[in-house]
Amino acid sequence: MPIEKEKLLSVEPARIHEHEHLVLEGSDISGHWNRMFEQRVLWDYTPDLLGKITALEGGESLGWCYQCGKCVGVCPVDVVGDYGPRKIFRKVQSGTDLFTSDDLWLCTTCMNCLRVCPKEVDMVKIMPAVREQAMLEGNVPAELQDAFEKTAKYGNPLGEPARKRADWTRDAGVEVPIVAKTGKPVDLLWWVECYPAYHPRGKEAARALARTLVALGVDFGIIGIEEKCVADSQRLAGEKGLFESLAEENIKTLRNYQFRRLMVTDPHAYNAFRNEYPRYGGSYEVVHYTQLLAPLMSKIEWKKELRYKVTFHDPCYLGRHNGEYEAPRAILKAIPGLELVEMFRCRQNGYCCGGGGGGMWLDGFNTQHLRERLSERRVREAVEVGAEVLAVCCPFEVSRFEDAVKSTGNEGKLLVRDIVELMDEARRAA
Amino acid sequence: MPSERVLIIGGGPAGIEAARSLADLGIPLTIIESGERLGGMPITAHYAALTPSFEDAEQAMGRMIAPLLGNPAIDVHLQSTITALRGAAGNFALTVASDGTQAEVEAGAIIVATGFQHFDPGRETQMYGYYEFDDVITLADSERLLKEHRFVRPSDGRPPERVAFIQCVGSRDRQIGNEFCSKVCCGVASKQAIEIRQQLPDSKVFIFYIDMRMYGYWENQIYWPAQEKYKVNFIRGIVAEVLKKGDRLVIRGEDTTLGRPMEIVVDVLVLSVGMEPSKGTREIAKLLGLPQNKYGFIETQGAPLATVVTAVPGIFAAGSCTGPADLEDCVSMGAAAALKATALLRKKAPAGGG
Repeated sequence: MPIEKEKLLSVEPARIHEHEHLVLEGSDISGHWNRMFEQRVLWDYTPDLLGKITALEGGESLGWCYQCGKCVGVCPVDVVGDYGPRKIFRKVQSGTDLFTSDDLWLCTTCMNCLRVCPKEVDMVKIMPAVREQAMLEGNVPAELQDAFEKTAKYGNPLGEPARKRADWTRDAGVEVPIVAKTGKPVDLLWWVECYPAYHPRGKEAARALARTLVALGVDFGIIGIEEKCVADSQRLAGEKGLFESLAEENIKTLRNYQFRRLMVTDPHAYNAFRNEYPRYGGSYEVVHYTQLLAPLMSKIEWKKELRYKVTFHDPCYLGRHNGEYEAPRAILKAIPGLELVEMFRCRQNGYCCGGGGGGMWLDGFNTQHLRERLSERRVREAVEVGAEVLAVCCPFEVSRFEDAVKSTGNEGKLLVRDIVELMDEARRAA
Repeated sequence: MPSERVLIIGGGPAGIEAARSLADLGIPLTIIESGERLGGMPITAHYAALTPSFEDAEQAMGRMIAPLLGNPAIDVHLQSTITALRGAAGNFALTVASDGTQAEVEAGAIIVATGFQHFDPGRETQMYGYYEFDDVITLADSERLLKEHRFVRPSDGRPPERVAFIQCVGSRDRQIGNEFCSKVCCGVASKQAIEIRQQLPDSKVFIFYIDMRMYGYWENQIYWPAQEKYKVNFIRGIVAEVLKKGDRLVIRGEDTTLGRPMEIVVDVLVLSVGMEPSKGTREIAKLLGLPQNKYGFIETQGAPLATVVTAVPGIFAAGSCTGPADLEDCVSMGAAAALKATALLRKKAPAGGG
């Protein structure tokens, strides 16, 4: 972690020790940059700062921590940095103001800590509650603020024009019905979400999914330019107000169309539609596209064997948050020729890609606090188990992992593919 | 006419001590035991040595049981269960099912001592990989290996170089629903760590804990010797992640005193599982109409100044069917229940009163 100048200046010069030659715990770390401080003596433990958090709706459970440390062992951020839920409790207890601390923005709300927590300390509720307050006080990292503003202005965090939201369909090679134009009820209304609609790699997966739906004869349609960001990640990053206004708008839009089920590409949208939108009056039967496709595998005529060794990355918001581990695996196992290998951290203990809870828009900020990106650590694990393809089913992940493949020097060794891209490849003639 | 007999349900340490006490007081008694032998969990779960005495479990329990055998005032029914209860304090009539036959037993008082079962780490939760990895075992599995003097890696039968214990598995956990401390696991793990070091002097043993709960003399009887004499490594911080790498396990957690991550390679991982009410405890509580607490244990009345009184007059409960209990607790409660039952019988049918 870089030492900020202000923090240095707050230390009395007499308490700064400089060593040219230093061996610390057996390691020679000599160099003029070694500045050793006498540790700050804790002279009080005040309940005030902790009380500020536990008084917030959603912040209550931070006060329940009994310091067993289980969470830190499974925290994906701690693997690449010095952050863990237990440490947050202790730091706040000993005087850290979380509302202005950089620690506030490192949690990806992946929920692995809550999974193992014997006291049910719920960071997935604590972090958004504290972040919301920090945001109201103007303490938000600039790049995250930028994503919030773009979401508010354009209806997507990429800052792309709303009128281009359905442009991806042009190159799909099949007709993608837009319900606003057809005016017909559909069995399946496909909520495309922002990254599949705008991101170059997301668009490719969206097109593969469109082709697959047509091939399977699914009665479906998309909303098109009226669709706006579901904004679950913005909510978890602290922008509850933005989430609520978009939720109301999206629910209003959905009222205009007749459909039996809502299909989502994005696990974060899946989470919002299942667990958050009902509170605002929007209750739907929601399926993730892997859940729709898994039972239809026997209907597919495969044209090509994919002789790849593939590993699968569980999205936090499909797996841990919503309990779906099997559907993506069922699809991969049905693809002819494909060999599925599991990474060490999988299913309930799946590692986080770093994109959740606002992490998608905090790459620059996180780089200053972490040894490497979570996505980079995950890519190393995929390579370690001998995978040639890293299969994903969350639109945040293709771009994150492809960047990580490059930055870890694994280009040519590991491909990143959406599950539906693999299906599309095996389904179409070589 | 009031019955002079006491019926004991469960032949573990609490039930056996109740029986010994009643026999000493000259009260006729019947023991109903669902298993094949008397002795309870130390015998059925193949414990190696008792905690904290380190006495061989078979020998110790054998010594405890010996006075009961061949005593005409003691009627032992093995592989038997209670299927019905009628009557009230002083005049209970119980139906005993045994090997397809049913018999009626009359009793003036009943002592329930149906015990606990070890917490099951769970197939679904994947929390510690118990059902995924052969070399992840529980305290109970470990007792059996130690008893056989064959503490090996279950995966390949070879003695482990490194063994780790994880404490508080299934205890002190709101999410699992067992909010209580199971009392004995810290002591039992430390005892086993000593036994492992005795049997495999080249092994390295680690115990990962939240806090070591060593009540009273356990501190210097087990914990200190484990650390000082047997060089067991006690590390504060609970491991939460178990990964299989190659043919060994890598466990990951946080050393909470240093605030640093730790990743340690081990050959055998022992989960220090806690206590839950046994199936028999849950069933008998329902059958006899005894209120259970939210964890399923039988609720006693008047704590802390009474230990064995239940909500039903004439029915007493002793040992780990009432909550987590060590052997001393169980035996003390067994004797207390015997005394309470005797006092009740004497009130109902005063001695010498005709």
